[in-house]
Amino acid sequence: MSTTAETVPQGLGRRRMRVDGWRWTGRIFLAFMLLYTAVPMIWMLITSIKSGFAAMQFPPQWWPDEPTLASYEKLLDPQNSVGQDFLRFFWNSLFVSTVTTILSVIVAVPAAYAFSRFSFPGRNFLFFAVLLRNMFPAVIFLVPLFILMRLLGLMNTHGSLILTYLTFGLPLAIWLLKGFYDNIPVQLEQAARIDGATRFQAFILIVMPLSTPGIIATAIYSFIGAWNEYIYAYTFLTKNDQLTLPVGIQRFFSENTTDFPGLMAASFMMSVPVVVLFLVLQRYFVRALTEGAVKH
Amino acid sequence: MAHVVLKELVKAYGSFKAVNDVSLTVNDGEFVALVGPSGCGKTTTLNLVAGLIPITSGDIVIGDRVVNDLDPKDRDIAMVFQNYALYPQKSVYKNLAFPLQMRKLPRDEIDKKVKEAARVLDMTHLLERKPRELSGGQQQRVALGRALVRDPAVFLMDEPLSNLDAKLRVQMRSEIKRFHQDLKATIIYVTHDQLEAVTMADKMAVMNGGYLQQYDSPAQVFAHPVNMFVASFIGSPAMSLIPLQASTANGNAVLTSAEGWSFELSPRNAQKVARATTRKVVLGARHSTIKLRNSAAPGAIPAKAYTVEPTGDVTFVQAFLSGAIINVSVPPNIAVAPDEQIWLEFDQERMHLFDGETEMALKAN
Repeated sequence: MSTTAETVPQGLGRRRMRVDGWRWTGRIFLAFMLLYTAVPMIWMLITSIKSGFAAMQFPPQWWPDEPTLASYEKLLDPQNSVGQDFLRFFWNSLFVSTVTTILSVIVAVPAAYAFSRFSFPGRNFLFFAVLLRNMFPAVIFLVPLFILMRLLGLMNTHGSLILTYLTFGLPLAIWLLKGFYDNIPVQLEQAARIDGATRFQAFILIVMPLSTPGIIATAIYSFIGAWNEYIYAYTFLTKNDQLTLPVGIQRFFSENTTDFPGLMAASFMMSVPVVVLFLVLQRYFVRALTEGAVKH
Repeated sequence: MAHVVLKELVKAYGSFKAVNDVSLTVNDGEFVALVGPSGCGKTTTLNLVAGLIPITSGDIVIGDRVVNDLDPKDRDIAMVFQNYALYPQKSVYKNLAFPLQMRKLPRDEIDKKVKEAARVLDMTHLLERKPRELSGGQQQRVALGRALVRDPAVFLMDEPLSNLDAKLRVQMRSEIKRFHQDLKATIIYVTHDQLEAVTMADKMAVMNGGYLQQYDSPAQVFAHPVNMFVASFIGSPAMSLIPLQASTANGNAVLTSAEGWSFELSPRNAQKVARATTRKVVLGARHSTIKLRNSAAPGAIPAKAYTVEPTGDVTFVQAFLSGAIINVSVPPNIAVAPDEQIWLEFDQERMHLFDGETEMALKAN
């Protein structure tokens, strides 16, 4: 008896210390990860407000002696040839990404709903066929899709990119949304249908509002995928006035080898739409939106 | 309000028939409980009436219309779900207004009806809340309110009380019964709890394995169960069922157990036993019809008490007899201890006799 009485508190104390140890390891790890992701961004921002000369200095200027917004002015100036290019690339990217996003939501929402709610022949096969694409690296499809786009006469069009991004984005969008629909109790639709709604009205009036977070997550996912894509845009588009930002910045980089501030400013501007998108839409990411719907 | 008729209703999933040839009539203003164990087809039957799943064959009539192929919205029904299925993004007010909006009622009329329903259910102060801000009982009330706000032809209720705690369940039970009496509403109510069915319903439909076993008033079902399943399912504690062998001794019909004890049957019971397809007969006795004695008596059968459960106004004694569990109720002043020797006496007038092969109740004529 006495031995247990002595060992128990000791054991508890040791356990508490171990838990604390893990907690601190976790914190240090997280702090390191934060530095790892934030420092390149900060450095990008700092470099973008340096002069071309200051950017090349070694040891580097941690804070520019003469901060300047010249690079941004140049990029956003429609009179300037660099600015013209940049704004065109930016517009191209925005167009391709937005159309991709809208189309993928339009296709993924009904597809995911059907996979979630209906049982039809070949349902499982189709669902895994949809996911099969994602088991291969995207590059594998580069040549086949290139040939296909040429056959379809879509070379050097934004349509070729939108189509390609949809084939990559849709499987995951459908998969993601199906999870959301699976979590919405089917009784809500049944109740709506008994209350006088058609199946379609039940979907639009009851299910759609509840799956808003899922639709937004899907939209953001599609948008970022299309916005950042490089290799297909690089392969399918050759005309300068059609390039999207990732490819455009690459050209900008090779033509203006020494202009690091300009490159960094362009990179920073490229990240702005994504950040804005997140900030605007994050309030829709309400957790447990269906809470209180049904009693479990 | 309207009557509901089910004619030879079948719902098959492949070769499995979840609902098998169910026919019954719910009269206008009647409260009918569909009762049975899990998987007996009662909820499937309700969903067929609601139109949430398509029927395989048969007919469903609501009012004077055959509704087989109508959408749920066109059947003029309201349904209360087991998990309430309240629209989580809508306030209580909007939950109640939704069925009226869907029927394109003018706004001031909707407002009037919603407020009236809220007043009846005593939840006017909750109208602006979201379902997640309500307690289980309040959510249940809203679900009920959403059904009654529209004055439908039939109310369908799918185990509406099974998610409530015991005390609230009893309270809501009497409220729903009261609601039925006041509105003269036609209600089809699904429950696995035979006590709910017995206490609330005008008629109960006992189901098992997709088949309708018996459809009658609770009193009739309780007094005259048609077969062993109904006999054991309705009533708590369950009816004791003892397998016995019929024979004749000195010209009198006698039932003998495997253990050797036997008793002579009354002329009426002998008549019943004579109709059995084989010699195997099952004796059924409700707990209140068995007399428990502390000492031997003529006709009393020796047994051993197994458990003793005092409930306050009555004490339930469980005993084993011929491999069957026997439930007996005794007044609390009679002292019985577990493992004590007891003697059981069956009441010939109130005992049930079943055919050991077909499991159907044996009738005298």
